[in-house]
Formats: sequence, C-alpha cells, structure tokens
Amino acid sequence: MYKVAVPRLDPGMQSGKIVEWLKREGDHVEKDVPIVMIEGEKTTFEVNSPGAGVLRKVLFEPGMDVPVGQTIALVGELNEPLPVDAESQQTPEPAMAQQTTVVPAISRAQEPSASPVARRMAREVGIDVSKIKGSGPGGRIVREDVQKAIEQMKTQPAAVAVTTQEARSVPVAKTIRLAGKRKATAERLSYGFHTTVPVTITMDARMEAVLDQRKDLHSRTGEEISITAYVVKAAAKALEDHQMINSSLEGDELRVYGDINIAVAINTPDGLVAPVLPQTNTKSVPEISRSIRDLTERSMQNKLVVSDLTGGTFTVTNLGGYGVELFAPVINPPQCAILGVGRTSERPMIIEGQVRAASMTTLSLVFDHRIVDGVPAAQFLQRVKELLEDPKKLD
Amino acid sequence: MPYGADFKQQAIHMHGTHSPAAVGEQIMASGTARFETVKSFGPVEANELTKHAMSRERLLQMLRKMIEIRRFEERVERLFLQEGALIGPSHLYLGEEAVAAGAVGALDDDDLIISTYRGHGHAIAKGVPMKPLMAELFGKSTGTCKGLGGSMHVAIYPEKGSVYATAIVGSGVPIATGVGLALQREGKGRVVMTFFGDGATNTGAFHEGINLASVWKVPVIFVCENNMYAMSTRADYAVAAESVAARAQAYKMRSMVADGNDPVSVYLAAKEAIDAARNGQGATLLECMTYKLHGHGVYDKGDYRPKEEIEAWLKRDPIDGLEARLLKANLASQADFEKIEKKVAAEVEESLAFAKASPVLPFDELAKYVYVR
Amino acid sequence: MPELTYADALREALREEMLRDPRVVLMGEEIGVFEGVYKVTRGLLKEFGPERVRDTPISEAAIAGAAIGAALGGLKPVAEIMYMDFLPIALDQIATQAAKMHFMSGGKLKVPMVLRTQYSLGRVHGAQHSQFFPSVLFQVPGLKVVLPSTPHDAKGLLKSAIRDENPVVFIESGMLYRTKGPVPDGEYVIPLGQCDVKKTGNDITIVAVSRVVTEALAAAVKLEEQGITADIIDPRTIQPLDLPTILESVKKTGRLIIASDDVKCGGIGSEIAAQVVEEAFDSLDAPILRVAAPDMPIPFSPTLEQAYMPNAQKIIEAAKRLIG
Repeated sequence: MYKVAVPRLDPGMQSGKIVEWLKREGDHVEKDVPIVMIEGEKTTFEVNSPGAGVLRKVLFEPGMDVPVGQTIALVGELNEPLPVDAESQQTPEPAMAQQTTVVPAISRAQEPSASPVARRMAREVGIDVSKIKGSGPGGRIVREDVQKAIEQMKTQPAAVAVTTQEARSVPVAKTIRLAGKRKATAERLSYGFHTTVPVTITMDARMEAVLDQRKDLHSRTGEEISITAYVVKAAAKALEDHQMINSSLEGDELRVYGDINIAVAINTPDGLVAPVLPQTNTKSVPEISRSIRDLTERSMQNKLVVSDLTGGTFTVTNLGGYGVELFAPVINPPQCAILGVGRTSERPMIIEGQVRAASMTTLSLVFDHRIVDGVPAAQFLQRVKELLEDPKKLD
Repeated sequence: MPYGADFKQQAIHMHGTHSPAAVGEQIMASGTARFETVKSFGPVEANELTKHAMSRERLLQMLRKMIEIRRFEERVERLFLQEGALIGPSHLYLGEEAVAAGAVGALDDDDLIISTYRGHGHAIAKGVPMKPLMAELFGKSTGTCKGLGGSMHVAIYPEKGSVYATAIVGSGVPIATGVGLALQREGKGRVVMTFFGDGATNTGAFHEGINLASVWKVPVIFVCENNMYAMSTRADYAVAAESVAARAQAYKMRSMVADGNDPVSVYLAAKEAIDAARNGQGATLLECMTYKLHGHGVYDKGDYRPKEEIEAWLKRDPIDGLEARLLKANLASQADFEKIEKKVAAEVEESLAFAKASPVLPFDELAKYVYVR
Repeated sequence: MPELTYADALREALREEMLRDPRVVLMGEEIGVFEGVYKVTRGLLKEFGPERVRDTPISEAAIAGAAIGAALGGLKPVAEIMYMDFLPIALDQIATQAAKMHFMSGGKLKVPMVLRTQYSLGRVHGAQHSQFFPSVLFQVPGLKVVLPSTPHDAKGLLKSAIRDENPVVFIESGMLYRTKGPVPDGEYVIPLGQCDVKKTGNDITIVAVSRVVTEALAAAVKLEEQGITADIIDPRTIQPLDLPTILESVKKTGRLIIASDDVKCGGIGSEIAAQVVEEAFDSLDAPILRVAAPDMPIPFSPTLEQAYMPNAQKIIEAAKRLIG
C-alpha cells in the first residue's frame, strides 16, 4: 500500500491546501502520474502517485489544509486491506525529489465515463465534468447529471438585497470557475495588495547606448539580447548599493536579503509566472538574456521546477512589447518593490537646447512605503537609469 | 484470294468438325430436324456481288466503314503500345470489321444496337462520330460518356441508336431482349441488334436471355462474333455444342451462319434476320465466323494461337477480300480506294487532335451523375 | 378511411400506374396466371392482358436484364423477383448494369425501372427463402432502395418508385402482406427519401424498417407504461436516406436504437449508426445500439426462427440498456 503525503513544495511551506483530486476513489493510477493538486505558499503543484494501483482511499477533501508530511491518500491493490487507522497516518517528511510541474492538466483518458453530450454541456459552462456524479448505466455521467449541476450552480447563494426592485439580469456568456493557477494568483496578489503600501515613481531613460550595444553584440555574435536583460542587470547592480529595496517585510521582521535574485514576469497562456534568475548581479547581460529565454521556453511548456519559482527578491516586468508606456504593476509579495519597463520608442526631446529624436523608455518603480521612503526609492531608480544610459558600467 | 468454291469444305477445314455447315448436314441426314436448320451464308463471289439488290453504293459504303474501323483501331493500338498515350483495358476490333460493317449496314438508321467492350467497330458502323469516340478513350469530357465510361463503354451513343455497351460478358443478351420487348410494343417495326462473342454463349445470362426472347418472340438479332477464342480459351473446347448457331435451335429460334470475313455474306444474312424480325417473326441468332488480328486485349499478342492458323486467316483479310472482288467485278478502282483511305486518315488524325485538346470533367461535378434528378 | 391489406395497397398502386401510363408493364414469375405468390398482382392479367402482364420463365437474370432493356427502349417496367433470396442471381444486371448506366454513360442513359421483391422472414421458409440483405443494394450507388412498412406507405411509395427515373429496388415484407391499414381514397404519392415519424417521444429514438416497425411500435407502448417515451422513425427509403429527420430526433433524445431484420454485421444499423456518430456526436447521451438478427443463416425450426427474429422485447431490452 502506497501512502500519498503532502510534500514540502516551498522552503517555507508548513502545510498545503488540497485544491483538487485528479482521480477518484476506485480509479486506477499509474506511478509518477499526477493524482492531486496541492497549493503551497506561492503556487499550486501536481503531486504524483508514488506507485501503480488503485486509489483506495482519499483522506482529505479539497479545501482542507494539511500539514506537510501528512498522508492524504492510499494507493494499493483492490484486495489489499486498508490500514485500521488510515486517517492518522503520518509519514516522515518526503524529500522534494518528486517531479512536480506547475500547470495542472487533466488528461482525457483519465476522466470518468461521461457521455458526449454531457461533456459538451459541462465544457460550455466551464464545469469540470469529472466532478459531477454520474447516474447513468455503470455510473456514466449523463446529460441529466450535468443539467442538475448547472441548476445547482445557478442557485448558489445570491446574496443580493431581495427588497430592491428587479434588477436587470445580464445573460452570462461564459462561467469559468476560479481554480488552479488563476485562483492562486488572485489570492496571493489580493493578499499583497491589502498589506503593502504601494507608491509609484517613474523616470525616463535614454536607450541609445543600450540599443547600440545590442546591435554591436548582435553583429559580432549573432545573438539577440533582450532589452529586459539590460534592465534586469541594471536593477540587480543598482540593488547592490540600495540593499533596503532588496528585502521583504513579514509581520514585524524586515528581512534584507543577502542574494540579489531578480524575478522576471513571463506571460503564458495559462497565466503569469515570475521565474527567478539566481544571483542576478553576478551574471553578464548576455547570460541573463539567455536565462530569460530559457525560462520563457520552459514556462510555455510547463516545465518550470520549484527552484525556478522560489527565492526571488525583486521583480522586473516588461509590457513594452505590448505598446505600454507607463504602468503601476503590483508588487510580488512578499518583495519590497517591482520595476515596470515600458516601450522603447523615439520621442522628441530637448537635447542641448535643440529638439531632437531620442530613443526613450519609461521606468516605473512601485515600492512598499512601509519598507522604504520616496527618496531612497528615487535614488535607486536614478541609479538604474544611470546604468542603462551607460551600459558599459553594467559589467 | 483463296475464296474457295466450296465454303463448306473450307469452313470444315477452318473450324474442324464443328463447322455449322457440317452440322447442318448432319441434322438433315439424321432426320431430326424438327427446328429450322442452320442456314449458312457463304462468301459471295465477285460476279455475284450485286445480286440480292446489293448496289455499288452499298458495297462502297461497307468498304468505307471497314476502312474507318481498321484505321481507327490501328491508330488506337499505336497510341497504347508505341506512344503510351492511352491507359486501361481496350479490346480492338481488328480483323472483324466485316461483321460490324455488314450487320449494322443492314439496319435502318432508327434501328438500335447493343454493343460490348469490343465495341469501337460497332460504334463506327452505327455512325458514331470519331471525335467523341477518341475523346472517350482519353477520358475527356467531350467523349461519348463524358469520360466516365472508357473504352469498354465507348459505344454508348443513343443519339445514333447505340443504346448500350456492356463490359460483362453475356449481360447484353437479356437487355437486348428487353429492348426488343419495348420495340415490339411500340409497333413501328424497329428492331434491335446485339453483339457478343463465342464465350458469351456459355453464360447463364445468354441462355436466359435468348430463351426469353424466343418466348416473347421479340424483334432481336443476336449476332455472335465467333472469333474462335474467348481470351485464350478455344471455342471448340468451351462451347459444349455442335456450334453456337446450333444452340439457338434448342430455343426454337431461327439461326444462321455467315462468313464473318465477308461483309456481303454478313449483310445478306443479317438482312434476312432483320426482315423476319420486322415482320413479327421473332428473333434470330446469327453466328459470324471470324478472327481477331491480335489478341483479346490491346496488350495481348494472341500468341497462344497456332501460327498456321493466324497466317491462314490473315490471308482472308476482309478489306483486301472486298477490294479484290470489287476490282474484279469492275465496280471500283484503286483510285477510289485511295480516296477513301486519305479521307479516313484525315478523320482519324482530326479526332485525335480533338481528343487531346479536350478537357476532363472536374471531379466535383461527378456526384450529379449518380442519380437522375 | 377505408382499410386495405398491404398486398392490396400494392396492387392498387400497380393498377393505378398502369392505367395512368401505358408504358408501365409488369414481368415476373407467376405474376399473371397465378396472380402472384402473395396475390399482389391479382386480377391484373385479366384487366391488362398478357402484353402488359408477362409471366416469365425462371430466369432472374433475364427478368432483370429485360426490365433494363425495356426501360432503355422507352417502357416503364416493374419486374418482380419472387424472393429476395433469388436476387443475387440477377445481381449483375441490377448492380453492375442498371445502377451504373446513368453514370457510366455520362448521364445519357436512363433506366426508369422498378424491381419489386420481398423477404419472408417469419414464415418458416428456411434459410434460402427468408433472407433480408438490403446492404448489398444500398452499397451500390445509383440504385434507390425503398422499404414500406404499412399499406398506406406501400401504395404511395410504389407509385413514386414507378414514376422515378432511376432504377428502384422495392423491398416488401412477406409478413406484412396480410396486415391491414388505412389507405386514403384518391390519388396520392409519397416521395422517396423521406422518413416518417410514426410516434413521438422524448427519451429515446428508435429507427426501424419494414416488418420491424410494428415491433418498434409495440415496444414503444410497453416502454410508455414505464415512463419512457420514444420517437419511432421509419426511414421508408434507405437510399437515399433522410438523415436530417433522424438527427433532429437524436439531438432531442440523445439515445438511438436501430432495429431491422437483417443481420447485425454490416446491416442497415451499421450505416445509420456511423452517419449519426459523425454528424451528432456531441448530442449522444449513450452508445448507439442495433437490434438486428444474429450473424447466422435463418434456422428452419419455428421456435428457433422466432428466437432469431428481432422483436419488441429485444427493442425494450436495448432501451433499458441505454437508459439504465
């Protein structure tokens, strides 16, 4: 009998929340194939079955917080007897050797039997068909079952004042249940927003030197260096002299980090991720650019690992590629600040008394005023600008 | 030209003891001739050509038809074998021209024929123009069947009274019986003539068909082109009867034999059969003794046949034979023949150019031909 | 409304068409003097004479071939193949000649003939006088295949078949000849290629052909007692098939049973099931089931034949399997 326990997915993780069971009691499971989704401190992970067999017992339902190490399910043969006190089984903390991936995916073949029309109806309203109880022959989920589930959804607590006049009801085009990554992101950012005191300051930087150096490197090595890489290196170097910004506030403790690990925001079809470049200040701009490219690829393929997503001390986010000039991004809790990069474009500037075209970009720094004040933040941003305008100083 | 005085002797020599003439004699001798004997029409001597109301025009017309068939088929053969321009099975009428020219020549224009996969000759004899014939062989939309039938159905041309051509041996016989029924009910005296080979007379459809034709006394002329071989199977092995014509006697049907390499012989026999049909005297089975120049299909050399046999029949070439007699009887000159040849050659080339230049039906137009809408 | 037997309804159709169009001629074995083995052609020889009602020798290939030739020659023949078991003897004429002539001739030839036949499954005629295998025919493009299940349908469909310019194989059911049903007075035709919804319901769609339609209707009554209502659809023509009517019903009920007297393997049910899955997959609430005869020749012994045949009970069992 295999025991499935809550693994330690983040270094600081004490307990995990059961998000979703991917298999039901009685389903056949394979070794190293995901059977449950658990939410750690920062992200939600799939946890694999330690062995092949039948999922004999599920001990905790979704929504429950379970301490790390606690057994949450049992996998074995059909004829194996269940341990008497299966509920209170505690396994020694398993190593984080389990292969986990970030983005959950329910594969078709593992779904319970559902008729084609049931699948379609569930898909159209965004219900996971496998969560519905089947009343058809052999436990098949049939149309009636989905219809009932939809009815239930509709009659969830409305909590609107019944005394008011009849409000206009807007037809719902699509209902998508908040789950998985989206849900985790929503909860985490909401928490951050309610605890930090964000202030935004902006500064424009001239990018000719960066563009020239990029062009030069490209013609020499053929390599494309991203602008983001330059900004990341500039921020990392600037943080060396402005350590207070490379910190986090947890309760009453202000932690100034020893390493500078810049997280880079990457947009994937499944949502935003911010993988980390460890010891960013020790890496060269081309190295950073390559790392960013690698992380982007792996993000798109859902191949990020735990170490990719933990240990960030500062975040850089670039919406310039989408035409944004200036924006106030949300600080990535529990970090102190986040630097937003806008579009690099030609603008008319007064240079030595003359109106001339210059390549400019707007840097937007959002910082937590509980940790730093405006002047130190401005001085940090000034330093970033300096480094960008004279990239030779970056290395 | 070895048109012997004694066709019977020759026929016996050519066809062994299964010669119909010999059989006829046997039946007569045995006194069991309850049914009509097989009437035989031998080759016609030069000095007898214009007997039986056979005009010079008609003789030249038949010659022209034979030359048209011969040159068309020769060109088709080259397209297949030398030029590789045509593909698929094709069964040439080379050597049998006299049967089509004589039998179809005896029909009126509004009489009908049903042909087979060896139908290029019947089609030309019935007046199907060469252009759509050639185009059909190339699978073009300007072909007789819009390219959907091919060589084996090329003779389908109801506009000229060729109402069907089938690729299934023997299957045309019952269909001809049905057409005969329709013509009988029509009451205008029209007749239908259908062609098939010696092998067809062994199929169930043949026997069912001529039996029913005899029962209904329909105006059909069943023409059997006995070229002695069904592919490589000899008729004297596979036909378990004294002769094909003798088979008709088992169905109380009039039967005849003609020299299939003499268009005049065929014409005279066919005429008699047609007149009988027109006068409500029922169907006739007309067996024409003939021979293929080459094999069954265009790729078949026919070398399973004894060399002496092939050579003997080559000497009886129908076109040479008629030309010789026309010259002998002073009914035509060499110049007349050359004039025909020239015109025919031009017609053949014209049809080839037409076929090559024609388009193919687009595939998405095909569905509408499955049903009559 | 007057009631006629299935056989009499057919006869009326033949008679009316023969009166209407002098080109219509009948040919077949025993149709004249004997008046037909199932009496469908009773009185017709007397009324129309031997020119138009022709007894033939036992020559299925010639009967079919002569019908083709007659059609080519301008007549409108209605030929009879006494038992569907004899149809293969004429298969060359039907499938290789008639079906293909219009296409092969690039649209020049038309074969406006009807080939009537029947299957006697249920009459203890044994393996060689009971067969029903329409698949052989509807797998041949160029033929139309019609199967009436009631006297009303039989008359209207036969008239349409005779007027159709394509070769039509008209398959009657030996078991149905003596059944009675309402047939309206006066002229009416039923177009080919149209389903008839003979009963409506919401829970399940039952497509049934020929004899099995009565079984399906009986099953529907019994199912209603258990609160299960069914759409009973009789395609009437299986080539061309009126698929939209079937799809509409399946989209409503989500469950489909196809019931017919042919064997399961490669039968009518197989084709309809495949078409429905292709076009209405996302409407299916359950697998598609076929109620058909088992894959074996028909046993002679009467109780064994009864056990072999599709019936209301088997349809009910299939319905239960779908609904659970």
